[in-house]
This record gives sequence, structure tokens and C-alpha cells, in this order.
Amino acid sequence: MLARAFATLAAFIARIRVWLSPRAVDQEFEREMASHLDLLTEENMQRGMAREEAQRAARMRLGGVAQLKETNRELQGLPLLETFLQDVRFALRMLRKNPGFTAVAVLTLALGIGANTAIFSVVYAVVLKPLPYAHAEQLVNVFAANAQEGIAGTGISYANFVDLRAQNHIFAELAVTQFHQLTLTGSGEPAIVDTSVVTPELFSLLEQKPIAGRAFFPDDGKPGAPPVVMLSENLWRASFGGDLKIIGRSINLDKRAFTVVGIMPAAFRYPALTSNAQAWIPLPQDPLFGSWLPRRGGHWLRVIGRLKPDVSPARMQAELAGISARLAKEFPAENSGWTIHTLPLQQTIVGNVKPSLLVLLGAVGLVLLIACANIANLLLTRATSRAREMAVRSALGAGRSRIVRQLLSETAVLGLLGGLLGIALAYWGVTSLSSLLPADLPRTSEIRVDYFVLGFALLLSILASCGFGLAPAFFAADSNVQSSLREGGRSGESGGQRRARGFLAAGEIALAMVLLVAAGLLLRSFSNLVSMSPGFEATHIVKADISLPQFQYSNPRQWAAFSSELLERIQAEPGMGDSAFVVPVPIAQGKINLGFEIVGSPPLSAGSSRLADYVSVSPEYFRVMGIRLLAGREFNAHDVIASPRVTLISEALARRYFPNQDPLGQRLIFGFPLDSAGAREIVGIVADVRDIDLGQAPEPMMYVPFAQAPFWGGAVVVKSTLSASSVASTLRADVHKIDKDLPVTDVTTMSELLHASVEQPRFRTFLLGTFAAMALVLAAVGIFGVISYSVSCRTREIGIRVALGSSRSSILQMILRETLTLTLVGLALGVPCALAGARLAKHMLFGVSANDPATFSAVAAGLAVVAVLAAYVPAHRAMRVDPMIALRHE
Amino acid sequence: MADKSDILQGTLDLMVLKTLDAMGPLHGYGIARRIEQISEDALQINQGTIYASLVRLVQKRWISGAWGTSDNNRKAKFYSITKTGKKQLDTEAQNWERISGVIGRVLRVAERG
Repeated sequence: MLARAFATLAAFIARIRVWLSPRAVDQEFEREMASHLDLLTEENMQRGMAREEAQRAARMRLGGVAQLKETNRELQGLPLLETFLQDVRFALRMLRKNPGFTAVAVLTLALGIGANTAIFSVVYAVVLKPLPYAHAEQLVNVFAANAQEGIAGTGISYANFVDLRAQNHIFAELAVTQFHQLTLTGSGEPAIVDTSVVTPELFSLLEQKPIAGRAFFPDDGKPGAPPVVMLSENLWRASFGGDLKIIGRSINLDKRAFTVVGIMPAAFRYPALTSNAQAWIPLPQDPLFGSWLPRRGGHWLRVIGRLKPDVSPARMQAELAGISARLAKEFPAENSGWTIHTLPLQQTIVGNVKPSLLVLLGAVGLVLLIACANIANLLLTRATSRAREMAVRSALGAGRSRIVRQLLSETAVLGLLGGLLGIALAYWGVTSLSSLLPADLPRTSEIRVDYFVLGFALLLSILASCGFGLAPAFFAADSNVQSSLREGGRSGESGGQRRARGFLAAGEIALAMVLLVAAGLLLRSFSNLVSMSPGFEATHIVKADISLPQFQYSNPRQWAAFSSELLERIQAEPGMGDSAFVVPVPIAQGKINLGFEIVGSPPLSAGSSRLADYVSVSPEYFRVMGIRLLAGREFNAHDVIASPRVTLISEALARRYFPNQDPLGQRLIFGFPLDSAGAREIVGIVADVRDIDLGQAPEPMMYVPFAQAPFWGGAVVVKSTLSASSVASTLRADVHKIDKDLPVTDVTTMSELLHASVEQPRFRTFLLGTFAAMALVLAAVGIFGVISYSVSCRTREIGIRVALGSSRSSILQMILRETLTLTLVGLALGVPCALAGARLAKHMLFGVSANDPATFSAVAAGLAVVAVLAAYVPAHRAMRVDPMIALRHE
Repeated sequence: MADKSDILQGTLDLMVLKTLDAMGPLHGYGIARRIEQISEDALQINQGTIYASLVRLVQKRWISGAWGTSDNNRKAKFYSITKTGKKQLDTEAQNWERISGVIGRVLRVAERG
């Protein structure tokens, strides 16, 4: 049995090979015939025939060569494929003959496949495609966690990194990265350079080579080594004209000379795949981080590792646990409670967006399902009207499988046409999607319709055509030959077929409900989100970043002096309102989350800690941002370095850490900046601010006067009714009056920042809304199709009813009842599906529950109304059926 | 591909297979001659018919063909039985004997009846 199966398979493969090169086979067969004829002729001549006679006799013995060749070709080729091609030609002819049907089916399918392909191209590029590094599956993000303090993941100190690198046996290589904006001067306008601060091994770890010059040597990473820098191809071309002579020369970063050693290709991105690092410097050379290297307690380095091949997860965990324990034992002050863990790099980069993208992909898949149900319905309609054709075929001897094969060929052609148009739509969709994509979505530059995505589209169209093709083929082949021939295929829709069509329409309603509920929930979440008050007034506030080169402005007093001089100058400009200095800017720059202690209160038990977001501001900040003072006083010009240390706390901090007591006059200790530890007296309480994003409840916050805790830069916020660009140019002019080498960057308004902060929710809400709208239209078309077909099939019945005295309104009632039954079945199916779907999308909801009754009932009512509207046209036609005409018609 | 001539085809295939098994590598002409001889010229077929059989057997990888030179220095395609072909020959021969036995009995019964 097995041997036979193998032989059949081998024969099939042989046939395919021949089918691919038929000429060669023909030629060989001719040669073989010629040789056979020669041998036969020779035999004949030996028997005493003359040459010519011998040749003739040989041809007779062999048989007709042309016929033999024909048989040979048939045997060696693929007659099955040839009938398929015949079917395809026939299918194309059928589709041309019914342009209306073809257009609707192809367009519906193209819409479904196009939308799916476009979304898939995003999902593929962002989530599924391996990272653009060699053996990316070996790359892991290494991080520290502290279960006692509830810290799930944070960076690693340099000292711990060095020990980890020396002691482990599981990593082929380890490297660290940090990020810093440095100021490039000496080549035109001063510019901010996004600099990746790394250990030299990063490049060999990622197996990336420079396009010119060299990567860092291990010695470049030692403290005291001469400062070197690698430039990105983009920066090299933009700022140095792509001149190779730059290698070996020095450039000024933060007013310090760095020798350029290499140029990295533009395609190299690490660690942020969203933005481009423009330069790389060794860690000890960084003006800020360089001095932090010996501190073991700081969790500030991002560590990447390449695992050795064949390291099992269990072995990795065991070894990391061992090293963590050893570090904790050796350096209990800094390391007790801390453990080291890894996460695949891919997961760290795309982990956040993956669930939302997968939900979107699922949603768009539902749209395709609805499209398929619609086409299946159309095909069923046509199958009924083609019953006579099938009956004739069947009567002429076509087997059931032959008819099914022909119908499937037709749907395959339909599917491929839809697929092709869908791919064209997908190209367009990807282009228009990329303008909508949130800026903080990783890897968006890799989104394109490539071979993999095309393969997906092709697979989808094949699957879809199988899906919508099977039902009609099943019914068509099943039809009763005799009755079809007799009835002439005019009216016959079998009960099974009608049930199938009804079920498909109800299914469409159910699927549309899932999408509409999801879209409704997302819409409500989004409106909840944007109506959230951030806690500050965003209108008419311009924000700009200024960073001071640390080699030049190395003394904190210089920072404080710079900020007050700048604010004075801005104050003096016409049209500019209040202005303030702040680090970090809420929404835009994230948070600095710090632990703190309360003087005089008992130390906390293990496993809990007091945490708050730290902000350093100049006195006018609260007035500029409209943050209300609830108690005590704001900062003022007297809160300087020499005066007593003060702090302002937010309402949330007061509520959480000073329940039932007056926080004013209490004193807090927090260790930041690192050299300014010391108690600060709480002098006031201000209102809460959502500093991370609108979706997160306000965290406890503590403010300190910028003059007492200056930074090497920060943001200026200015209240002004002037346009952002004129505020920006005034700001630039003022900054350059103080120091012409200081760049002013990231100028934007606070309103724009808020707008940008909800980009991802807006993106998915928009997409899901679009899909839901598509689903609604498709479902309406589906209901329209089912009802109008059923009306046209029942014209005779309706005619008789009217003739027998049924009123028009009772006819209308009958049609509407049919519609509502369909809708109710659909809704009944839809509710549990929608509940399950909403639960999957739960992580995207804000301020609304996954089973929000209002959304569910609104969607159900809306769908019922749409269904009735879609049925109205055919119902209207049914009402006006003239019994005389209807009866004669049949 | 199964149609009414299946049995006849099968018979010829089996004969070709058996011939190659017994005689070693042969060209199409040689196989045809051999079958004619064995059947004592009772089976007068168009020799060309043999090629359909050869194609089928090659496709199933039961025999393989290669160009070579005949005794009298002519180019010809020589066929030889493969290992799978030999195995298959055993099974097919047994099948054949069984079926021909059954058919023989049926025919005898039919004659008597």
C-alpha cells in the first residue's frame, strides 16, 4: 500500500517536471522512436528486405509515431492541470458575462484582503519580523528587579555590570547602553546630537561593522582613554558632508574634543529602533555618566547580552540567581533584595504594542470574514439561478466531483482577482497608514509590502475563496437534476440553501456586532481619555529644551545662574507672559521616580517603600502651568542654595503619606541630585498633575526649587498668545545672547504634547472605527442581498397572497418579520462573541468596562435599525407586487 | 487516471517488468521483441504500445532509463529494473496469479452455467 502511494507520488512529481519542460521530453521521445525504427529496419533488412521496404515495414510494426507522441505527451504531462486551466478560462468568461456580480464580489474581497494585508504588514514589521541583527533570538535585555520594593525592572549599575560580565558563563558578550543628548559645536549652527553612550563590545555583540574607519577597541572603554566617537552615516553626511577625511580628526561634543574613529551605516539602529542614534561614545567619556561609574547603587544602565548557543532557560536562571546572591552578599548595602533577570530583546522592544496590534489584526480578520460571508451569499444566489446549467452538465455526464471542481475553479479565480486588487489596495493602505502611525511605535521604518506580506495576501485570498466557495459548490452539486431541468431553474431555492443564506446573514450581523462593540468601547475610552484634565493648563504654553554642555557648565551654580538670567531676559520681551524652568516636563519627558523618607517617622517594613516623582522647577512654574496651590506657599526668589531647603508636595503625596495629619512643616529626605541629600521642609501643597500620560492616575509628586537643585539643562515653559514659532525665535535669540553655542530644541506647545501623548489610542480607535464601519456596510449589504433575493423568489407567493386579500401592510410585516428574525439571531450570536472580544481588548479600555451595557444596547439597536433600513427597499418592492403580473410571470 | 484499460495496461506493465528482471538492461525494441518471442508471437502488438508502459514504470520509479550503445553500435535508450521495481514485481506477480486464478475460475463457472 505504502509502496503504491510512494509510486503515485513519484509519478506525479515526474509529471510536474515534464510539464515544466515539455519540449525536451518530446525531443527525447522522437530520438527513442528513431532508434527503435532503426533497429527494426535492420532486423527487416537481415531478413532480406530492401532498405525502403524494410523501413516501411518497421513503421508498420511500431505504429503511428504521431499518435505515439500524443499518447506519450498525455502520459507524461498533467491532464488534470489542463482541465483546470480550461475551467479557469471558463470561469473568466462567466465573470465577464456578469460584470455586476463580479464587481461587487471582487471589490468586497479586495477591501477585506487589502485591509488585512495592510494591517498585517504593520504587525509583521513591528512584532513578528526578527530584529535586524544576526541571530537576534540570542539577544536579551538584562535588567535588575527588586521584589521587596515592588520594582519589576530597572537598569543595572556599572560596577554590577562589570562583575556580571566577569563572572557569568552564559553570555557570549554583554554590553551597556545609555542615552544622552550632547551639543555639537564647531561645525555650523550648534546642534543637539542624540548620542548613544556604550561599552565598546556593543558593536561586536550585535555583529555590526562600520562602513568606514573602525569600531571601538576594548581599550577605548577604559577610564582615562583618549575620547573617541563613532558617527552615524546620517550625521556624517549632514554635518560633515560625507567627507572620509573626518576620520582621525576631532569634533567638539559638549565643548570637549572627540576623535572620530568610524562611521556606522544609516541602517544600524540600537537601542531605540524608533529613533536614530547619531553618534556613539564610550561610557567613561560621557560628561554626565562618566563620573557615575564607581557607584554600585545606581540602576541606570541598559544592558544587552548575547546568550551562548544552547544555554537552557533553567541554566540561565540558575546562574543569574547565583550571581545575584553573590553580589547581594558581597555588597549588601547596594544589592540586597536585587536580582538580575533577562527578557528577549524582541519582547522588550515590542512587548507594549503587541497586544493592541494583535487585537487590530483580529478585528480586520473579522472584516474579511464578513466579506467572505457576503460573497458566499452572492454565490449561493447565483448557484440557485445556475441550477439549470448544473443540471444540464450533470445530465451530460459530468460527475459530482467534476462540477465541484469547476465551481471551485471559478471561486479561485474570483479569489485571486480580489487578492490582486486587494494587494493594490494594501500598497495604498500602507502608505496612508504610515502617516497615521504613532511616532512612538517601534520599527515603523520597516513597514512595507514585501514578499512575506504578499505571500500572506495570497494565502488569505486562497483561504477566503475556499471559504466562500465550498458552500455554493456543495449545494450546486447536490441539486436535483430532474426537478431543476423541469423547473428551468427559475424559482428553486431549497430549504437548505435558504437556511444557509439566513445563517450567513445572521453571522455577518454577529461579527459586525463584535467590531461595533469594540469600536464603541474604544471610542468611549478615547473620549474619556482626552477629556481627562492633565492637572495643568495646556493652552498658550510653549515648551523648549535647552541643554548646557557639561564640560563648560560644570558647576551647578552656573546652571542656576543661567536659568535665572534666561528667565529675566524672556520676561523683558514684549508679548511673552510668565516663564519658568522645569525638569522634567510633564507628559513629554517622563518622570524621575525617587524613594524618600519622612523625618521622624519610623522606617518602613521590608517590601514597601515611599516613592514620588521628583520635579525641579523655578518659582513661576505653578503660575505658568496653572497648577493650583492648595495650602502653604509657592517657591519664591528667596529659595536659593544658601537658604533653608524646601519642597512642595502634591495632593496625592499628602493623601497617601500624611493621612489625617498636616504635612506642612514636616521634613522629607531624598537623595537626588546625588550630592544634595538632606532634609527639605514641606512648605506647600499643590494640585495633582498627570505627569506620564492622561491614562494614568496622578502619582505622588514632590517639587524642589531649581535654584536649590539645578540641572545641566531643562525645559523653558512660556505663557504667550504669540505663535509657537515666534515664541521659539524669541527664545533662541535670548539664549544666544547668553551663549551663542547653545542649541534650543524640541520647541512645541503643551497642547501638542498632550495631543501626541494619545497618538496610540487615537490610532487604534481610528482603525477599529474604520473596520467597524466597513463591517456595518458589508453586513447591511448582506441583509439587503438576502431579503431582496428572498422577495424575488417569493414574488409568486406574494402575488397569490395579495390576490387572496392580504393587505400591503401585512406583506410589509411579513418581510420585516423575516428581517428582524435574522437580526435577532445575529444579535443573539453576537452578544457572547462581542463580550469575549471586548475582554480581549480590555487592556485598551479606559474608564469604561468591557461589558458596558450602554455600548452593547446602542450597538444592538443601531444594528437592528440598519437591518430594517437595508430591508426597506426589497420590502417596498414586495408591497407593490401586482398580483396579475406576478402570477403571469411564473 | 483509472479507466477501463487498467487491467490490460497492468498486464503489459507486468510483462515489461518481468522481462527487465530476467534479461537485465534492454532498449524498447529489445523488450518488445522479447515479449513477442516469449508469447511465441501470439501477442502481436504494435511495438510502440510498449512505450506507454515504459513511461508509466519510469514515472513510478520502478524502472529507470539511460542512453547507451547497442550491440551493433547504435544509440538507444536502455531500461533497467530498480530495487523498488523488483520488490513491486514480487507483489504484482502474486496479485496477478491470484487474480488470474479467480478470473479463470469465474470464466469456467460461466462457461458451465
